[in-house]
Amino acid sequence: MSEKLIEFNNVTMFYNDPDEAEANENIVPALLNVDFSVNKGEFVAVLGHNGSGKSTLAKLCNAIYEPSSGTVKVKGIVADNDDKADEIRRIVGMVFQNPDNQIVATIVEDDVAFGPENLGIEPKEIRRRVDDALKAVNMYDFRHREPHKLSGGQKQRVAIAGVLAMQTECIVLDEPTAMLDPMGRQEVMQTVHRMNKEMGITIVLITHFMDEAVKADRVVVMDGGRIVMQGKPREIFSQVEELRSHGLDVPQSTELCNALGLEKSVLNVDECVEEIAKMLGGAR
Amino acid sequence: MIRDITIGQYYPGKSLLHKMDPRMKLILTFAIIIVIFLCKNFFSLGIIAVTAVLAAILSRVPLKMILKSLKPIVIILIFTAVLNIFYTQGGDTWFEWKFIKLTEKGVFTAIFTMVRIVSLVTISSLLTYTTTPTMLTDAIERVLSPLKIFKIKVHTLAMMMTLALRFIPTLIEEIDRIMNAQKARGADLETGGIIQRAKALVPIFIPLMVSSFRRAYELAFAMTCRCYTGGEGRTRMKQMKLKIIDFFALVACIAITAGIIVLNHFFEAVI
Amino acid sequence: MNYALETIGLTHYYSKGTPQQVAAISDVNLKIEKGELVGIIGHTGSGKSTLISHFNGLLKPDSGKVLVNGVDIHKDKETLRNTRFKVGLCFQYPEYQLFEETVYKDIAFGPKNMKLSDEEIKERVFKAAAFVGVKKEHLNQSPFDLSGGEKRRVAIAGVMSMEPEILIFDEPAAGLDPRGRKDLIELIKEYRKQTGSTVIVVSHSMEDIACMADRVVVINNSTVAMQGSVDEVFSRSEELRSMGLNVPEITEIFAKLRAKGIDVPANVYTVEQGAEILRRLASGRCAE
Repeated sequence: MSEKLIEFNNVTMFYNDPDEAEANENIVPALLNVDFSVNKGEFVAVLGHNGSGKSTLAKLCNAIYEPSSGTVKVKGIVADNDDKADEIRRIVGMVFQNPDNQIVATIVEDDVAFGPENLGIEPKEIRRRVDDALKAVNMYDFRHREPHKLSGGQKQRVAIAGVLAMQTECIVLDEPTAMLDPMGRQEVMQTVHRMNKEMGITIVLITHFMDEAVKADRVVVMDGGRIVMQGKPREIFSQVEELRSHGLDVPQSTELCNALGLEKSVLNVDECVEEIAKMLGGAR
Repeated sequence: MIRDITIGQYYPGKSLLHKMDPRMKLILTFAIIIVIFLCKNFFSLGIIAVTAVLAAILSRVPLKMILKSLKPIVIILIFTAVLNIFYTQGGDTWFEWKFIKLTEKGVFTAIFTMVRIVSLVTISSLLTYTTTPTMLTDAIERVLSPLKIFKIKVHTLAMMMTLALRFIPTLIEEIDRIMNAQKARGADLETGGIIQRAKALVPIFIPLMVSSFRRAYELAFAMTCRCYTGGEGRTRMKQMKLKIIDFFALVACIAITAGIIVLNHFFEAVI
Repeated sequence: MNYALETIGLTHYYSKGTPQQVAAISDVNLKIEKGELVGIIGHTGSGKSTLISHFNGLLKPDSGKVLVNGVDIHKDKETLRNTRFKVGLCFQYPEYQLFEETVYKDIAFGPKNMKLSDEEIKERVFKAAAFVGVKKEHLNQSPFDLSGGEKRRVAIAGVMSMEPEILIFDEPAAGLDPRGRKDLIELIKEYRKQTGSTVIVVSHSMEDIACMADRVVVINNSTVAMQGSVDEVFSRSEELRSMGLNVPEITEIFAKLRAKGIDVPANVYTVEQGAEILRRLASGRCAE
């Protein structure tokens, strides 16, 4: 029986004043009646086009926003006051899209220490955590550097280290690779997978890059503030047309096999090559 | 160009000065700066100059870096020197041509002022060269913490300083980017009178403000997510401990101050 | 005949005259013909951004020349100034350059700087806005009230309204979702088709470059490492990978099929093309 870490219960979220929303029909909710949960140790990818509500979902996970209606529980805690919100943030950490706007200090290691310092942890313990976290994201050699001189991928890994050092059970990453080049994306994604596999950290990855969702345990697709599809990557990616209708795309491997009318859905290049070889072999 | 400006110029190292407690460094630097203004003659000023040179050697910051920190004040130096030479008159006249008159007192005053300024800048830049900005703002926070009784939010001030230091390079890059983008649309930033040029800054200033607010907003989220709730209950990874070297430095500073007072008393004042 | 854009021995240094001097780009020789759509690829730090900043004279080369229609853009001040309008440059995340009170005024900023008549400015703004799909009723709104994707379109219209002979895009689709990305690529292709202008697109997405460019230039280690047709460049996938670049996934699939001894061409870079070839292959084998 897997333990539920995050639980959304019929959550609706308006950014504007609810009163104003009532007066103006044009104001649409960012989330509408969403039920969603994340199990401990799971890797969930949340997909959706810009404005589909996925970022709002992320921000509700660690009590940055309060839902307009419905409840969000993290380990059974509802963030109805500041103390509880703080408690939730000790369980769920967050990494944002723009690496520049989440780094606080002028030296890498000082930035990683920021979270643990806020938690009031003992200095020696902070030192140990900071070193471990930097090693875990392969940035230990850069600990004395100035963040603004790092590449995007490196900055993002520093941001991840900053959350790791807080030793949260879950990390929510809100489009962590959207502003990175392919190399930076790869660095960050490898780090995220390692955290999930080796350290058992629960991951919620918000993204619109389909290839990043391929290795997730579960994929959630959002559109218009609702969850429209949910399942294992293979199940989701086999529905090419439906994904497209939600403004998304599938990896080229999947697209090719789909275009060829192959029944089995594939997720990566190697599977695709195998299927095609089989198809051609079968035809022979 | 605009990117060459360096602020919070830390020079990594492991010298004695680097190892000193930032609080002590901060207090002593201020003490020495005050003492510099107490110097009345070349003997007492000499002690300061020697102190500055010794401190520079102890810091193992390359001479080139120190000279770099003096570069921005060259114009001020020349200006004050010239002003002193011509406005302070007295003693023997060494040279005279039309209205230009070089006098002993004028030249001495000029040299005195220059040495004073150079020592002052050297000593204060050694503080920033040997202390990381984080440690420095940390030290300021701790040194000023008694002000809390006057309801001054010392932690908030220090946090603002840290964030300013952190974002200055980012914003400089941003300005550069916006300038290029507007130039590519034919914005003319170089010609025209003052009013025209001020107007030409609008296309740069507005995007900069917009993006700064966006950054501030996102940063506030990010800090909240990392459980930042202000100074209450925070600990620090880097502890500040007074070490033997700090007491040596303190004693040295007291000795310097005493020496200067004595020398001021025994020798004739230049100014 | 003159090339639309030509560089001869273009070299630019960072921190020139200091011991840290490094070449940002060195000895770049490029010839871009009128009406071509050229993709420039290279990883971050390869020098591609520095390179394009030379094309409209934002940066001055330390040695070498940039010729637009055969004329050295640094010939005199007048030529340099006119180059800004002849060569439009649309930077990464162009929405961050918006500043005017209304969308209309922002799109008009470039044409205004060109000192065009009010009539002509109006005509150009409407044309550019319509082209990028900005609705007429949005023209009097503040650009800051628009969504991210709309802002980007307004910013692009702001460069298009100058009607440059050469239009350069630096990572035009950065940060967009798949649909936004696809729409933007179509927009660029359509722009080239309608205006016949020369277009240069800088990107590190090989998929994007593959489906729009006529010719590809690969920048690596501050200089041109490869150039040629999309076919020629993407068939050298091993070399591209060694430069920290990835070929489109579909090209990789075909390379692996070839490695398995299946006789497929190496120059496949779109899914439609690939599916077509495989279908033919499969039916051909059935017929045998």
